[in-house]
Amino acid sequence: MLLLSAAHCQVCTWQQGKFSAAEYFADHAEGHKAFAARMKICRDHVYLLTDLVEEDFRHETEPHLHGKDRTAVIQRKLEQYYRNTPFRQALTLQRRKDGRHDDEMLFSALTHPELITPWLNIMAENCLPLAGIYSLPNISVPLVKNISSDYLLLLSWNKFAGLRQTYFDRKMLRFSRLTPIDDNSSFSTTVGTEAVRSQQYLKNLSMLSPEHALNVVIICHANDRIELSKNLHDDSEIHYTYLDIQELGGQLKSKTVYPDSDTTLLFLHLLASHPPHNNYATAEHTHFLRLLTIRHALLGLSATLAAASLLVTAAQISEGYSLDEESQLLTFKTLLLTKQTRELINTLPITSASATDMKTAVLLSRKLNHVFPSPQSLLEGLGQTLEDFPNIRINKISWQSGFVESVAGTTPPQKMSAGTLPAQIILLNGELEEFSGDFRSALDHLERFRQALIQRGYSVTALTLPLDISSQGNIAADTCDGNIKPATFSLKILWQAAT
Amino acid sequence: MNIHRTDFPHLKWSLLILLSVFCAGGSIIILSHLFVTHAQTKQIHAQHQLNDSRKLLASAIQDQENIKAYSFEYIELVKLNIIGDDQRLDWIEGLEKIHQQHLVVDFKYALAPQHPYISPTPLDSGNFGLNMSDMTLQLDLLHEGQLISFFNALHSGIKGWFILDHCTLERSANSGSSTQLKADCGGGWLTLKNSTIK
Repeated sequence: MLLLSAAHCQVCTWQQGKFSAAEYFADHAEGHKAFAARMKICRDHVYLLTDLVEEDFRHETEPHLHGKDRTAVIQRKLEQYYRNTPFRQALTLQRRKDGRHDDEMLFSALTHPELITPWLNIMAENCLPLAGIYSLPNISVPLVKNISSDYLLLLSWNKFAGLRQTYFDRKMLRFSRLTPIDDNSSFSTTVGTEAVRSQQYLKNLSMLSPEHALNVVIICHANDRIELSKNLHDDSEIHYTYLDIQELGGQLKSKTVYPDSDTTLLFLHLLASHPPHNNYATAEHTHFLRLLTIRHALLGLSATLAAASLLVTAAQISEGYSLDEESQLLTFKTLLLTKQTRELINTLPITSASATDMKTAVLLSRKLNHVFPSPQSLLEGLGQTLEDFPNIRINKISWQSGFVESVAGTTPPQKMSAGTLPAQIILLNGELEEFSGDFRSALDHLERFRQALIQRGYSVTALTLPLDISSQGNIAADTCDGNIKPATFSLKILWQAAT
Repeated sequence: MNIHRTDFPHLKWSLLILLSVFCAGGSIIILSHLFVTHAQTKQIHAQHQLNDSRKLLASAIQDQENIKAYSFEYIELVKLNIIGDDQRLDWIEGLEKIHQQHLVVDFKYALAPQHPYISPTPLDSGNFGLNMSDMTLQLDLLHEGQLISFFNALHSGIKGWFILDHCTLERSANSGSSTQLKADCGGGWLTLKNSTIK
């Protein structure tokens, strides 16, 4: 943390709310040399806070613009007001609610760059990452946030720079000035005198209307407050309020002990803990900070890559070991099964053919036995039926194995598909003995014979009968001829072995 | 922000670290991936081996059951010379024995050369080839019962498997002879040849 006043540059390091011992470097060649030596050992980023008399503020109302137009207008204004300094900035305070809704802007600059440039050059030579160039009025805004006063003059004291008076109009920074404190006058006397002067100055510039009282807020040590309250008296135009520097530091989470009313460390702490976005540094000034940011980003990316690689690797190795364990378990199971199989095989008898072949051969023989039944099983039922019909004389009987869709059909023997059933087709030719010409009786007798066969499981179809009495049949007879023709018939009988 | 060549020295170590991490990270990821791939291959191989072992065990169990269920019948088929080559001498000798038993008045037979048997119905013959030696029979009978007795004797008295395909039985035209019936039958001797056994 660097605090630059007109004649000195104060250097200290800030870490978690605590400051190291301050080092002071005077603004001359020896001071610069010592400063350069100090900067050589500094590698952290640097905040530069200025507390200079040569800081100017201009309040302007500008049309509300966006993008390039806005940038151009601001740039033009900055060139117009502060051509000779690179340390300049524009701050939008608010947008007006009346008229064209213009923007109220505050243009400010450090108007004497020669006071800053030597220090910046030394930092640049040492490639020091500068975070920004801030001014004390600019970083004071958070201090007045919680003070309920529209017209406020904030007074703070720096033992090297002097008395800083910053005016806030409705909590918006409008103006600031620095007054060196005369060694001959006391702190309280200077405060009283300068506060009244500032009030007059503000009234003259119409920044404070006569009907409004000015609230002067003084940051001071408890010891100085007693003297201040004795010497400073409120009236209708001016009111004095005191902010205890130690309490204020506590509110800002500063761990520093403030021995007097010097606000240097308080403001440095405020800057370190709440750095504002706006500052006087240009891109050129913060070049090394950006390089530092890139370095950090690269290192962060490296760390992320390393972590991701390790995670992925760990996950893959874990998966690999898991698979390996699974493989070992599977191999163990395989060994057990192999052993079990070997033991089982050893118990099997030694045979000339494999078990599968045995099964195939046996099932094959069973099926063929079913397809080709013995003559006894085929003719047994037929023979028993014929015993019940002694007047039926068989002249010829023939049978052949075949396949039919169903036993009721009359399909001739042929090669059939797998869904068909094996059957035996029996053709039976015979005649009725002792036939007297009574066709009705003969046909009835044959019908009974047919039914008897059906009851024994045969399927019977009459191919020829002693007399064809169907509508399509031809019937011829010679009534003069006394000879009676034999009552011949033929039957087609299907027989299927029981499954 | 513009970065110039002069800025490179400020970034070189960070860039080198990033490059190193990238290379090292990539390398360990590739190596670990190879490790996983190897483990996967090993696991798949082990799984296949286990599956094969299961199949072998199932096959052994099946064999055990098949042997238990079918070995007796199979041995019978072997004993009857149904499995293997045709045994024509056995058949002829058997027919001669039947002839001497006078189960029928007389009979004639004719054996044709063996040929592959094509079943009229689809059969799962596995490793077996089916062969048939066709045989025709002409029989002189006194009555139908002799035909039954003849084929029963053919079935039980001869080592072999005769399949009767068709038969025609009719009364003898010559009423003067002792023969009442004539039978004309056809069939064949079926053998099963295991193609896996030389």
